[in-house]
Parts: sequence; C-alpha cells; structure tokens
Amino acid sequence: MRTATREYKFDWMLWSAFNAAAKLKNGSEKEYRYILNYIPYFRGVVDAILATGEPGEKFIGICARYLRNLITARDEGRHNAITTFCFSPAVFYAMDITPICLEVISVMMTFTYRRGTTEFLDYCNEVGYTETSCSSQRGTIGAYLAGIGAEIDMIVTDTPGVCDTNANAFSFASAYLDVPFFQLDMPPVLADARTDEYHREDFRALIRFLEETTGKKLDVDRLRGIMEEVARQDAIVAELEDLARLVPSPLPVAYNLMLYASRFLFAGMKECTDVLEAMLRKGKENASLGISGLSGGKEKLRGFFCYIDHYTQNLKLWHMLDSHGIAYQGNILSRSFASNAPHVKELGLEEAAYGIDTSNLDTMIDSLAQINSRMPMIKSIRGPYDGPHMWLQDTLSLARMCSADFIVYNGTPGCRNTWGMVKLMARDTEKAGIPTYIMYADAFDDRVESWDVTKERFEEFLKVRRLLS
Amino acid sequence: MMNEFMEAATAIESGPVKKWKADGGRVIGYTCSYAPDEIMHAAGILPYRIRGFGAGEMTIGDTYFGPFICSLPKCMLQLAGEGKYAFLDGAIITPGCDSMRRLDECWRKAGEDHPGVVPRFFFHYGVPHKYTDYTIKWFTDETRRFIAEMSAHFQTAPDEERLRASIKLYNRSRGLLERLDVLRTGDTPPLTGSEALAVVIAGSTMPRELYTDMLEGLIRELEQRTVQYGDRIRLMLVGSANDDVDLVRILEGDRALVVADNLCFGARSQTDLVEEEGDPVSALARRYLRQNECPRMYGDYRRRLAILKEKIESAGVEGVVLQNIRFCDLHGSENGLFERDLEREGIPCMRLEREYGPLVESGRMRMRMDAFLERIDQRRKSA
Repeated sequence: MRTATREYKFDWMLWSAFNAAAKLKNGSEKEYRYILNYIPYFRGVVDAILATGEPGEKFIGICARYLRNLITARDEGRHNAITTFCFSPAVFYAMDITPICLEVISVMMTFTYRRGTTEFLDYCNEVGYTETSCSSQRGTIGAYLAGIGAEIDMIVTDTPGVCDTNANAFSFASAYLDVPFFQLDMPPVLADARTDEYHREDFRALIRFLEETTGKKLDVDRLRGIMEEVARQDAIVAELEDLARLVPSPLPVAYNLMLYASRFLFAGMKECTDVLEAMLRKGKENASLGISGLSGGKEKLRGFFCYIDHYTQNLKLWHMLDSHGIAYQGNILSRSFASNAPHVKELGLEEAAYGIDTSNLDTMIDSLAQINSRMPMIKSIRGPYDGPHMWLQDTLSLARMCSADFIVYNGTPGCRNTWGMVKLMARDTEKAGIPTYIMYADAFDDRVESWDVTKERFEEFLKVRRLLS
Repeated sequence: MMNEFMEAATAIESGPVKKWKADGGRVIGYTCSYAPDEIMHAAGILPYRIRGFGAGEMTIGDTYFGPFICSLPKCMLQLAGEGKYAFLDGAIITPGCDSMRRLDECWRKAGEDHPGVVPRFFFHYGVPHKYTDYTIKWFTDETRRFIAEMSAHFQTAPDEERLRASIKLYNRSRGLLERLDVLRTGDTPPLTGSEALAVVIAGSTMPRELYTDMLEGLIRELEQRTVQYGDRIRLMLVGSANDDVDLVRILEGDRALVVADNLCFGARSQTDLVEEEGDPVSALARRYLRQNECPRMYGDYRRRLAILKEKIESAGVEGVVLQNIRFCDLHGSENGLFERDLEREGIPCMRLEREYGPLVESGRMRMRMDAFLERIDQRRKSA
C-alpha cells in the first residue's frame, strides 16, 4: 500500500467526496457543470445519479449521511459493527449500532476512485488473506486491516451456509483485529418448520450478543418504529417492482442500484424511505406519460441480472445498458421477498416470503429473523440451486415476470458458491428459452478483466444471440 | 502389514471394498468428515469417504463446475463421471465448503448426461457452522432425517443397540489411532508421515472390524520396528484436505518427517471419542459437530490455534507446512493467521498453495521444501 494512502483515514476520505457531491446541486446548473471539471474520476457517477433528479440527489445525500455516521459513530456514543450487504441493518439501528457494510463501501470506492479498491484488495493478500477470496469484502476490509478506518466494536455476518468467502472474510477480520464475532447460520432449506425455529433461536442469540457487546438492552418501541418503516419501504418497493413490469419500463436504469443500495444502507430508516418515495413519484410520473425511463426514450430490450452488477468506475454498466436501449429489470439484490412483493403474490410463494408483525417483542424478533433469512443471496443460494425457492426458481420466475429478453450472470471469481452451479443454471435457463450470458469479469476489480473487454464480450453476446442488430 | 494399509489408501476400489461388494455388501460414500460413519456401519452399510485421488484429467469436472473452484470436488466428479464410483450404492454431500457442497448439483446434472453415474441414494446432509445448544439440536434432527431416509431406501434401520455397538467399535479404533499418534510424535517415530496418513485414510475405505484388527497388528509391529527417523527435521502438515500419500512423501523427501498433522483426512478427523452413554444419535451429533477442527466453523480460530500449538509442543515440531488447495479460501486464509501467530512465537512456517490431483508441481514443491528445511537447519545449528 502506498504511503500516501495511509496518510488519511479511508472512510473520512470517502465521506469527504460524497459530502461534496451531495452539495453540488446547491448552486446553479452552470456552477454545477463547472465544478464537475474538478472531479474528473468521480464526475461520471455523480452526473449519472444526479441526472435522475430528486431521487438521485437524495440518494447521494444519504450516501454522504451514511459515511458521516460511520466516521462519527464512536465520538457520538454509538457502537459500530462490520457487517454484510445481505444482513438487514434494521436490528443495528434499533440498537443504536452503526452498520459498516463492507460491500456497499467497496462499490462506492470502485465507482469513485480511478484506482478503485486495488490497494486494499492487495493489502489483504499481504497480511495472509487469500487473493482468491471475494473482492467485494476484500476491497474494504483491507483498509480496516491496515488500521486506516474507524475502530471496530464487533463483526456480525449471516452468510455461513450461504457463502464461504463472505463468511470467511468476517471470520478472518475478527481473528486478525481481535474483535467479537457473531454469525447467523443458514440451513440449506428455506421454508420448513425446523428451519424457521433455527432462524428464530439464532436471531435471539444475536440479540443477546449485541446486548452483551454494547451493554444496552433492545428498545422495543424503537424497534417497532423501525419495523413499521421497513414495512412502508416494502410497500414502496412492491409498487416500484410493479412499475418496472410496464412496457416500456418507466424506471431509469440507475434506479435498480439506488433501490438496493438505499435498503442496504438504511433499511428501516427515514433516509431510505425518502429515496424510495422520490423514485416512486418519478416512476409514476413517467408511467402516466407512457414514457420509458431510458435516456433515449426507446426501450429495445429488457435484461435481468441473476446475481450482481458490475461496479466499474462511473456506472459504465448502466451507461452501456442505457445506450443500447436496454431496460434493466433488476437483479438478485434489488428484489424483495416480502409477502406483498408482486412476484410472491402472483406466483403463490407466500411460504417462502416474510411478513412483518409488530404486535410484541417476540413477533418482531421472529419477523426480523424472517427478513434476514430472505435477504438477497441468503434466501436463494443456500441450498441446491434447483431446490424449492432457490436460485433457479427465483431467476426464472422473476425473469419471466418482468418479460426479460435475456439473463446475465456477473459476480466475482471469489464467488465459489455461484461458480459451483452457474453453468448448470445457465443450461436450465437456456432450456427454458431465455438466452443467458455468463460474464467472467470481477464486479469489483477491473484488473481481472478490463471493462473494455467485458463490454465487448457483452455486446458480442447480444449480437450473436441476435438480441441487438 | 503397512503394505495393506498403503494399498487401501492408494486405490479407489481397494481389495477390501471389492470383497465387501462381492459378498453383497452395500456402500455409501460421503464427501467430508462431518458424516457419522457409525450410523451407516450400524445399518450394515460400508461408509466410504469419497476421494479424487487418481484423476488423470478434469474434462468432466470442468464441464459442470465453473473455473474458480477447488480441484478436489472436480476430481471427485471426474472419477464419478468415469464410472470409478459405480460401486457406491449411495452418496452423502455435506456443506463442508462451497465447492464441495456444489458437488451435489454437479454430480446430479452429470447423471443426466452420463446415465448411471449417480448413486440411487443421494442425500444432502446439512451441517451447521457453529456449536451451540440449538445447532446441536438441529444437527441431531438432521441426523435422524438421514437415518430415516437411509433406512427407507436400504430397508435396514440401525437400531439403538447396533448404534451403541458401532460407537463402541469406532471408539476402540480411534483409541488405537491415538496410540499410533503417540508412536508417531515420540522421540523416535517408527513410521513416516506418508505411512501414518495411509493408515488413517485406509480407515475410511474398509470395514471397521477388519480395520481395527489390522490396526492392532500394525501397532504391535511398529512397537517392534527398528527403522527410525530420529535425525530428520520434524514437521507438522496443516491445511486443506489431502488424501494423497505421495504429497507427504514429496514434502518429507529424505531429510524431513511429518510427525503430526491437522488434516481432515489425517489425525484430526480421528481424535475425540463419541460418548457411549445417553442417546446415541445426539452423542454422535455432538461429537461430529464439536470435534472437527475445520475453518468452516467460523469465529473459532483461537481454539484451533491453541490445538495446533499444543500439538507442536507435544510432538516437538520444528516447522509447520501450511498448505491449501487453490481456491480453498477457508484454509488458505486461516493459514495466513497461523503463519502470523506461529512465526511470532518463533515457529518456522511455510505456506504452500497447490492443486489437488496429479502432482505436476512436485519440482516446485521440492525446491520450496529444500529452502524451508535449510532455514530450520540453520536454526538447529545456531541453537
């Protein structure tokens, strides 16, 4: 790692960039355009998100707020916890714990910095963590291992039984930094009484751990407020998912990213609701006018990503989709498995969905356990991909529901779990009549395959399969 | 006697397996050390640990698995696809790690293209990743589910009495393996590390009664053995699964001796007994969930480090080889922590990443081992 990188706290640096970005629209359009020249490597992502209007401005704002919370947590008397994107932060907020979501921070840095997270990725290897591990955690955990981030109180993950390399990153960091660790463990089956009981027991053990580590009791009223906010957010997400099904889709391509990132950062908090409400307002407005959310105004294709996106600098994936007139129909991260989600109701998947019951503490904890066990990835890649409510079923039902013309897999080479079954799944989705493309890029590390090559291969797929002329 | 163990450890369908099948016996294969052998044994079925040993290519494995996957399950699938596991009547897949648990789907899908390569009884055996009261309960229930499905399929149920007898037998053989370990870690070990590994591996491929008898004979023989390796550099082998005695042979060469290991195919999987009192299924669940010191049990690094240090101390280990198969992030990363913490205490360590399967990298390994042994030699001289 360069000496210069060690000069400042990495999280403070990132907050500084997003905080400035959040103020860019305070001036005139001329001033805004002028200032963009001073952020040559950050302007693409900022401009693309702010171009979505109110939702984008609010989104950049909550990113800055989140980063501020992260760097000030201890000074302001809050504890913090390193955690993962597929762990609902609601319980942390209910206990006044600031969640530090590694993958979201990796995305922010990959978007923002020309060098991405490469120094932190490599630092992990220097201290003994394998280079073959997933870059989504490595990109940020490297900074904490190097001691250039906030001091950490605890590490909490829920990926054992779902993703080894994810769980291993947290376990490694806990041993390396010598901080308390808790894991929620996931059995290979989703919907049965034995699994439900296991989730409930496990979540209660988590709350005991959080109470012991922070020395604070779970505040029932606060938890209820947060759960009710989660329910409001789920209702908005359900409406957005319905809107996305319209042809043309009225939602801009970047909405997908903003939707899941807002939930990962602030599920159960007003900040997230504000962004989602703004997205819904704009989506409804477009829908009432019958216009596409694409910048070109013409929808040519609809694509569904069965895993994650590609986060190379400046939202290039989203630019590419937009420029080809491809309506982005979401991915595994953006989909909700709440009982009111359109696909849940339409396909009768209630037994695999979660509901929110705020009657008393017990029902709320059970609901939290259910929400957590239905988070992206946690829900659908725990068991065999072709099992009930697992990856294949979710992918096919969602792709069909949103009339996707093709399916794309993208992940990281560190994703042992999906690479162990993606060829089989692509074979099945192709058999089901949906052209499927497996990307061999690394969502967080352009050194594995440059964006130019990734783009060329993607476009080649579209051409060879005669999806685009 | 050692030749018989070596033969059983270096053949997929060894003599004892062939004889078992010829006598009408049935065999269930399993992929990792979390599957309780005692249950299959009590049902009159031979438990057999599936291996990838001897795979000459990976054309079948690579067809179903993606590219960034550990070569061990790929080799297992390769052998299965080639029909080498046609003698299996059943298979258990456990989520030892992500690569291994995806053998479930890859094997089943290979069966669609190569009819007959998937055993008729195919069971996904969930194993929690931590040891608590509720995980033990869940694992006990999972074990009962396994018993029920196995019994229904094979029309033979392991009753409580037979289970107790099996537990007793396996405990006896584990006691013998403990005696073997004492011989191996003593001042004048009468066997090499590759021989010791062969003895343990053989236990996962042959009827336990036969194995226990052979083990008793071997220990008597070793106690009289005059061949000694006392002047060699004493090493410990740690990390990813290894069922290849030749790998240990290469690491040992003629200057070193692997006197201890912490491998799931090695001594690690054989330590600790099953409680003989109380409910046998729950006793098995407790033993198998608690006693396997694998990094898949997240957040338990300090306990594993303590076990390693204790073994290093008691076996007089002079250096530790921390190996992992490429893409085995669990062992690879934990090896990084072991290296940091052991080197801090003055214990020389060498990390080695390798591929499972044909030992095409033996030259590189020998060269690295030479350098490592040189380092330990210099320590000896300056001591």
